[in-house]
Amino acid sequence: MSDMLSIENLHARVADREILKGLTLRVPAGEVHAIMGPNGSGKSTLAQVLAGREDYEVTAGRVVYRGQDLLAMAPEERARAGVFLAFQYPIEIPGVNNAYLLKAALNAQREARGEPPVDAFEFMKLIKNKMEIVNISKDFLTRNVNQGFSGGEKKRNEILQMLLLEPRLAVLDETDSGLDVDALKIVAHGVNSLRSPERSMLLVTHYERLLELIVPDRVHVLAGGRIVKSGGKDLARELDERGYDWVQAGGQA
Amino acid sequence: MIAPIPLTARVAVPGPDTTRAARLHALAELGAAGWPTRRREQWRYTDLEPLAADNFDLVPGAIDSETIAAAQALLADASLGGASQQLVLLDGERVPSLGASALAGIEVTGLEARWGEFVTSFAKPIGAAEYPLAALNTAFARHGLWIRIPAGTVVPAPIHLVLIGSARERIAAQPRIVIEAGPGAQATFVQHFIDCSPESRGWCNSVTQLKQAAASRLGFYRLQRHARSVAHTSLLSAELAESADLTAGYFDLGGRLVRNDVAIALRGRLARTELFGLLLAGEGQHVDDHTVINHAAGETVSNENFRAIIGERGRGVFNGKVVVEPGCQRIDARQRNDNLLLGEHAEIDTKPELEIHANDVKCSHGSTVGELDAEQLFYLRARGLPPVDARRLLTTAFATTIVEQIADADIRSEMLAHVTTRLGPLTEQ
Repeated sequence: MSDMLSIENLHARVADREILKGLTLRVPAGEVHAIMGPNGSGKSTLAQVLAGREDYEVTAGRVVYRGQDLLAMAPEERARAGVFLAFQYPIEIPGVNNAYLLKAALNAQREARGEPPVDAFEFMKLIKNKMEIVNISKDFLTRNVNQGFSGGEKKRNEILQMLLLEPRLAVLDETDSGLDVDALKIVAHGVNSLRSPERSMLLVTHYERLLELIVPDRVHVLAGGRIVKSGGKDLARELDERGYDWVQAGGQA
Repeated sequence: MIAPIPLTARVAVPGPDTTRAARLHALAELGAAGWPTRRREQWRYTDLEPLAADNFDLVPGAIDSETIAAAQALLADASLGGASQQLVLLDGERVPSLGASALAGIEVTGLEARWGEFVTSFAKPIGAAEYPLAALNTAFARHGLWIRIPAGTVVPAPIHLVLIGSARERIAAQPRIVIEAGPGAQATFVQHFIDCSPESRGWCNSVTQLKQAAASRLGFYRLQRHARSVAHTSLLSAELAESADLTAGYFDLGGRLVRNDVAIALRGRLARTELFGLLLAGEGQHVDDHTVINHAAGETVSNENFRAIIGERGRGVFNGKVVVEPGCQRIDARQRNDNLLLGEHAEIDTKPELEIHANDVKCSHGSTVGELDAEQLFYLRARGLPPVDARRLLTTAFATTIVEQIADADIRSEMLAHVTTRLGPLTEQ
């Protein structure tokens, strides 16, 4: 199976601190991979680097997405090419309503694919059943982006954006953090509804509980800026039971 | 015609002989006060000396038919309200063929018809030391507009005051508008400043005075979209009696050198005002808003919110003063001023001033100056929006907060359209 994403020997730093220290990872098309690891191991840095955040400087390595050099692309080019980052801390944007952002984001992608923009009527048709999937009420569309949203609403909003944009590669950065069980189920349902042979997902998470709802094809442990262990879905449960110390010790040995 | 003022009686003043003494008196006061220079605190950031040196024509000749036709063409713009709701001044003067001659339910006359009353009640109370350009206006304003809304009258549709500048050489228009709202009267005004030609190079020195009787309610929205070489100076002065309510919105989109003074006096118990403004200035533009809200009675409320968006090499000034006079208790006064700089050489000077002479007062103010938020920009780009679109969206959002304070939905959407149009080039500079 061809690779959706291939990361080789990636080094990245923020300010003077090196965070990713030779990370290598392949995600074939159609697979869901989980990245787990202790705090400060570089999980969020990886997610941000993939989305194109300029605060992080890539000092070595390469990232190939569907045959393209991802690191050479601007953040908006990555988004238009089908890369989606669900933010760990979704940003509030006073004065911009959700409907506007969703439509602008969708039309930016359609433009990149050479498709005509959707009008207000088509947009409403598209968004309506996706809102049902993540259990979001209609007034949400006229509210400002993430402003005054609860933690759970912000995360569901990220998933709604993902459902609408139908990315090829979705990176979910701790989408499960701060969610209660019900919200977690809603988010998992949204993510699972998008699984397909043409789509890959990278779930960055602390907790095994998400991976009971979204069962990954592979689980990787990120520690000290590198992947130190990879395994099947059972690795997540093992990590939950035994912690990270044994992996880190084993990985570095 | 203005030699760097002090003006003297040698200057020919216009109008009927009956108006002459008061005009010369205003000029003498201006002479005594002196032309505003940057050495005076209130004019520290705005240099009007070039205006005095530009040899403007304060007593222009008759308006020709070509100029009137050009103005007529402008009035077709739907956002100006349509002929039945328009009162028009061209270079500060009424022209019979432009706009409505009368409006149902309200009285429309001019200053020269009741000059004595105008001088006593409206010209004299404005001090030349504080507002020197208002004295200049008194000396050279002609008929202007005097609008009276009788007691208890509720004017259903907004009245559009359209002030058009012609492309005549060196024109220095002096429009004067007086609005009196009787007890319990209600009306909404939109004041537009526009020009016949993008090449207009004149100066518009406008004075608008609102006098609100008890429990009257006025909405007053001013949209300044002058041509880019026009100078604009303005004063809005408002006097509110008991329980009167004024919502005033200031939108500055055009002009090269702009100075706005707003002076609102809450003279009666329970009077309240909401004052907000949006100042947009790009390269070659200098826009200065100076506001004073005077709480001169107890239990009065003011809520002020101004924002500026300054493009590359644009310049803005905000000075907001709130005064609570001695013995005026249970006052609620809030002021906010937030400014967005879009370029390395964009500049804003902001200064809140509070003068509180009472102790039972709720008073707050806050001021920020910043650039677009990097986190928000990245979020939008990560959703596929190109940087230029992301910047425009965030800038529009910053402006929208002010536009949304307009109560009337039609005026709000017209205003948003004008603001958005102007923000396009401002964000791309």
